[in-house]
Amino acid sequence: MTVATTNGTAKRTAAANSRKVRFRIKRCDGPNKLVRWETFELTIAKGENVISCLQKIAANPVTTEGKRSTPVVWDCSCLEEVCGSCTMVINGQARQSCSALIDVIAPDDGDTVTLEPMSKFPVIRDLWVDRSRMFDALKRVKAWVPIDGTYDLGAGPRERPEEQAVRYALSECMTCGCCLEACPQFELAEDESEWDKSFIGAQALSQARLFNLHETGAQLKGDRLETLMGPDGVSECGNAQNCVKVCPKHIPLTESIAAVGRSTTIHAISKWFSGK
Amino acid sequence: MAKSEGFLERHHFLLRRLHSLTGVVPIGMFLMVHLTTNASIVWGRINGHDGLEGADAAVATFQHEVNFIHSLPALILIEIFGLWLPIAFHSVLGVIYATSSKPNNDRYAYQDNWRYTLQRISGYVGVLFIFYHVATLRWGWSFLIPGGTEWSAEYAASTMAAALQGSTDGFRLGGLLVSAFYMVGVSLLVFHLANGLWTAAISWGLTVSESAQKRWGQVCFVIGVGLMLAAWSAVLGFATLDAASAREVETNMLEKAAAADGDGAAPEHAASHDEDSDHTGG
Ligand code: SF4
Ligand code: SF4
Ligand code: FES
Repeated sequence: MTVATTNGTAKRTAAANSRKVRFRIKRCDGPNKLVRWETFELTIAKGENVISCLQKIAANPVTTEGKRSTPVVWDCSCLEEVCGSCTMVINGQARQSCSALIDVIAPDDGDTVTLEPMSKFPVIRDLWVDRSRMFDALKRVKAWVPIDGTYDLGAGPRERPEEQAVRYALSECMTCGCCLEACPQFELAEDESEWDKSFIGAQALSQARLFNLHETGAQLKGDRLETLMGPDGVSECGNAQNCVKVCPKHIPLTESIAAVGRSTTIHAISKWFSGK
Repeated sequence: MAKSEGFLERHHFLLRRLHSLTGVVPIGMFLMVHLTTNASIVWGRINGHDGLEGADAAVATFQHEVNFIHSLPALILIEIFGLWLPIAFHSVLGVIYATSSKPNNDRYAYQDNWRYTLQRISGYVGVLFIFYHVATLRWGWSFLIPGGTEWSAEYAASTMAAALQGSTDGFRLGGLLVSAFYMVGVSLLVFHLANGLWTAAISWGLTVSESAQKRWGQVCFVIGVGLMLAAWSAVLGFATLDAASAREVETNMLEKAAAADGDGAAPEHAASHDEDSDHTGG
């Protein structure tokens, strides 16, 4: 049952269409349960992604040691890199498992793919983590346009295409958490009461900027900046700029951070002089 | 403990911005002046001084700079409020802030991420280095200097050389260690300043767009290279200086100054004599 695959490229041509790839997976049965590693081996067909491989493992969860295990648990939804729910740490870096093609991340026969849950969010089970903190952060920075819907507001404000282009890029955030996972200033906070105690992260900073840029959304600008001037706010960023490099949506996060930095500078100075 | 945490949190934004500001002014500005002054032990050779040439001219130039600084009024107040307190503030807060960092360079080995981690390491080492530097040379804790040299403002270059070399007549092992520590210390501090200038512009929101950040980054790089050259010149200049002949130059300068003082006092003397003779005469 266990096939010892010869590592290397010798067999590559022969095995081009039926190569074997190992999946080393960090597993955990639930919060506060012990962590263990299991390895599975699969025959890979062309065009597979990490999720299709996890499905195959679920169908036959037998490890390379021949032990029958349980299906690996993970989260996913859209399968086209727009919902962010399938994010996990693949070969050491956070990314979406639905768009992680095996042909790219493990091109050779005998390659190994290492899968881990994100480390900055509480693990629910195996590769499935609880990303609620990010949604809570969106509430804390009031990442919305305030309209109460009880009366007709008339036509919205006019938009300049240049600003619209900036906002469009920011609006693509899918709350996946890659930027937070890669940030050396963002830390795991298991308990909800701890969420506002340490750095809020690039995702919420960028969303605050998005809604500050909106004519109507800007009504809440002061509130957003006040939150982001707090102990978990923008000044906790250490400018490592990992966030912008790992964001799968290529959102200009470091520009957002600097823009929020500028807004808070202006806000603080004008508050000092006007008292508001 | 809980109280001090509360204080840090309540004034988080202001403290963070003051931390950033003190790094630029006065500390950063001081470092630029300080390194340029100390590098005179090299550029003073080219410059010449008072008919002197080569290393002697450098020793004299450096002495001249030190004399100027020591002629500033209320120097101790300038030092306390302009340097020591800002440096203590920047260091203490910096160490507190750095403890919340979780470096992950193994997984995200980007250059910027190394910059980030090095900023913290250079902060820690910088605090140790500055403490050693100020304690030994300014506060006279000469027991921390191999060879026990005490730095003196009148014999600025020769005592500096002896402190770096571990003796007044050439290198000892202890001196090598001190010189190496100086090289590492000043290099890390220059990096810390150049990188700090770059990130401060982001924190304050001066450079927002990626291209602006890149442009300012190039300026900071040039500033860093310039300061690095000055820092290395200073350390290597003193580490290779012949302490004995430097002391001769300094002794000559002291004698000259004393003689000049004497000359300056002479007319006064004469005047009082005149007065005296006037009195006697009258
Ligand atoms: S730039 Fe700031 S938010 Fe982005 S990874 Fe670095 S520390 Fe984190
Ligand atoms: S900013 Fe990018 S990396 Fe961060 S949550 Fe949004 S899409 Fe993901
Ligand atoms: S399943 Fe939605 S991003 Fe992967």
